[in-house]
Amino acid sequence: MKLRTTFFAALALAAGLAASAKTIELLNVSYDPTRELYQDYNAAFAKYWKDRTGDDVVIKQSHGGSGKQARSVIDGLKADVVTLALAADIDALHDHGNLLSADWQTKFPEHSTPYTSTIVLLVRKGNPKGIKDWDDLVKPGISIVVPNPKTSGGARWAYLAAWGYAQKKYGSEDKAREFISALYKNVPVLDSGARGSTTTFVERGIGDVLISWENEAFLALKEFGSDKFEIVVPSVSILAEPPVAVVDKVVKKKGTAEVAKAYLDYLYSDEGQEIAARNFYRPRNQQVAAKYAGVFPKIELFTIDEVFGGWTKAQATHFADGGVFDQIYSQ
Amino acid sequence: MKNHHILRILSALFIIAAVALPRLAADDSEDIKALRTQVDSLEQQIRVIERKQELKDEDAAAAAKAAPKVSFTDSGFVFASADGANSLHLGSLVQFDSREFFNDGGGVANNSFFLRRARIILDGKLDKIYSFQFVPEFGNGSGGTATAVAILDANLTIAPTQAVQFKFGKFKTPIGLEELQADPSTFFVERSLVNNLEPNRDLGAQVGGSINNGVLSYSAGLFNGIPDNLTSSGNSDFDNEKDVDARVFSQPFVNDKDSSLQGLGFGLAGGLGREKTHSAVTSGYKTAGQQTFFSYNAAVYADGDVWRLSPQAYYYVGPFGVLAEYVVSTINVRPSGPSTTLAKTELQNKAWAVTAGYVLTGEDATYTGVTPAQPFNWANGTWGAWQVVARYEDLKIDPKAFQGPAATQLASPATNAKEASAWGVGVNWYLTKAVRISQDFFDTRFTKAGTTAPTTQILRQNEKALTTRVQIAF
Repeated sequence: MKLRTTFFAALALAAGLAASAKTIELLNVSYDPTRELYQDYNAAFAKYWKDRTGDDVVIKQSHGGSGKQARSVIDGLKADVVTLALAADIDALHDHGNLLSADWQTKFPEHSTPYTSTIVLLVRKGNPKGIKDWDDLVKPGISIVVPNPKTSGGARWAYLAAWGYAQKKYGSEDKAREFISALYKNVPVLDSGARGSTTTFVERGIGDVLISWENEAFLALKEFGSDKFEIVVPSVSILAEPPVAVVDKVVKKKGTAEVAKAYLDYLYSDEGQEIAARNFYRPRNQQVAAKYAGVFPKIELFTIDEVFGGWTKAQATHFADGGVFDQIYSQ
Repeated sequence: MKNHHILRILSALFIIAAVALPRLAADDSEDIKALRTQVDSLEQQIRVIERKQELKDEDAAAAAKAAPKVSFTDSGFVFASADGANSLHLGSLVQFDSREFFNDGGGVANNSFFLRRARIILDGKLDKIYSFQFVPEFGNGSGGTATAVAILDANLTIAPTQAVQFKFGKFKTPIGLEELQADPSTFFVERSLVNNLEPNRDLGAQVGGSINNGVLSYSAGLFNGIPDNLTSSGNSDFDNEKDVDARVFSQPFVNDKDSSLQGLGFGLAGGLGREKTHSAVTSGYKTAGQQTFFSYNAAVYADGDVWRLSPQAYYYVGPFGVLAEYVVSTINVRPSGPSTTLAKTELQNKAWAVTAGYVLTGEDATYTGVTPAQPFNWANGTWGAWQVVARYEDLKIDPKAFQGPAATQLASPATNAKEASAWGVGVNWYLTKAVRISQDFFDTRFTKAGTTAPTTQILRQNEKALTTRVQIAF
């Protein structure tokens, strides 16, 4: 009996020793264009966490079209946090798999959107096709590059931005639908994500205009040169609010709830907001926003709530199987 | 006059050219523009086609990566998730033997075909760190009989790191070097006499691990406790005592690819426990021909400390391999029990063996076996791998086992040997990694325990046993 007790005590000690040698690992499943943002942010957070707790934290990243990424998490990818392009993709984690609570958007400030963005048009230097606004995209002979709204969050924002413009200008949903149909007739190839579309337009030299996340357009200028491309700011666009969430079911199993919450909380800190702004995401923090005001062009922005009644309705109407996009694209 | 006429013609031609050429040039420039536009359009179409193909290839690669993997090779059936975190392996071990005895005085044991081992091997991994093993035995070699199936292994390992792993269930105790070698991979078809003094599979819990890719490995476990040369056959302990078995093993040069000592390994294993049951006494020690040359009297009762100690080593370099072990097994026994006034005796039985092999076809000899560079293929004229092996071994029984009057003897000198020593040679033909044919010959000499000729027929002459085995293991 004494031997057995001693042995199991030794086993427990060995287990404890194994556990105390810890480096915490998080998986952030994100949408396509946020690679540079989270590269910078993860380094900053790791330093912050080490200084605060003494623990090492290693953040692994996964990037892809927002819808595809949500699907992967539902299918079993063990994400501690998701930082996706739109709320409907995170809603799906609750609806299919109960991976987080229905009120996930209340867990962080600004309904869990630490930064915003919008949709702009990227054209070749000199704007050879004279593209000035959304209307120019539906002209014959214009070739548009935009990702697939079935997989890409950015593509859904782009679709809704164009629809919102058309509905406002032409006054009806039918006219907006005609406009969108004409727009997608000018799309020769649909990538699965925003980064893929940037590759198509910038590196493969396909198309006259890229309908792009604002940050992605700025990055293209930074990386490939403002002598090759220029940004065309449309007359109106949509306020894109990419949300973030902790995947409760995963962090509970892995024991990473505390660090996962801290990871997303830090996005709202001064340093987090600065990193967002430096990577061309519009910060929520007003002081940081004022500091970077000269970077971001002034655009008239509408929200998804104003024009479409929210993401749930927009997703069901336009992007669900058999929705408006499927009807348009199959014609 | 003639020159003036030519000049007037040339001037007229020049005037005509001066008027006509700009017009021709303008038409060409429009055509060129149209052609250029057409070329640009065609170039765009080509780029779109190329990009679509690129995206299609990316999707196909992603789908292949995400798809579960199914394979059937000479390592068995493997079903694995795309990320490798979960897998299920289905394998098998079948050993079909023929055993013949020479000069055995008319047949001590029948020359016979038999199924030495017939197992289904099911093991797998979940979430990368949890692994399991389930092996039922249908052959008669390790507890299974023609009518009964034994569960040979049934265990679960939790391995948060390579250095710390926890194992629970039924599995091989961490004592014998050759015992821990997989059954299909041993030099000879039967393990050495040393194996007689070591426990086989037992029920227990163990912590172990490997540090720096095997430079140091360790295991320490708490087990129910079983006699020498036996596998736990029940699902509970036969007494209230437990054994602790532990082993440390070092391969100091394992990471040095240029070192001739890369294949050197050595270690020390031992066990300590207490037994208080008749069942803790071994059912007997066996020869290479699997005949029992020693067993205790039926009433002998284990009562007290048991311990084992085994220094061990191996060395593999290129086609050559050698494995050596020594073991001392100590048990405290009474002539009968549990209620008895008869005195207890501590017995120390000892054994050692040195085994060596050489792969004639040049493949590497390893602790985990030999993989032929070219499997046997009659049509292609390739012959697999061939290995010759040799062993010398010895097992001595503590003389105190035979002392005293018959009523208090622990083993009868008339029916037992006090020592067995043997030399053996063999050849192994590895047709593929999974299929092996072996033939071994052993000559085992017995030293009688008594002063008169033993009554047991096996002990009246050397055992000369020829064992041939056909094995498939995957």
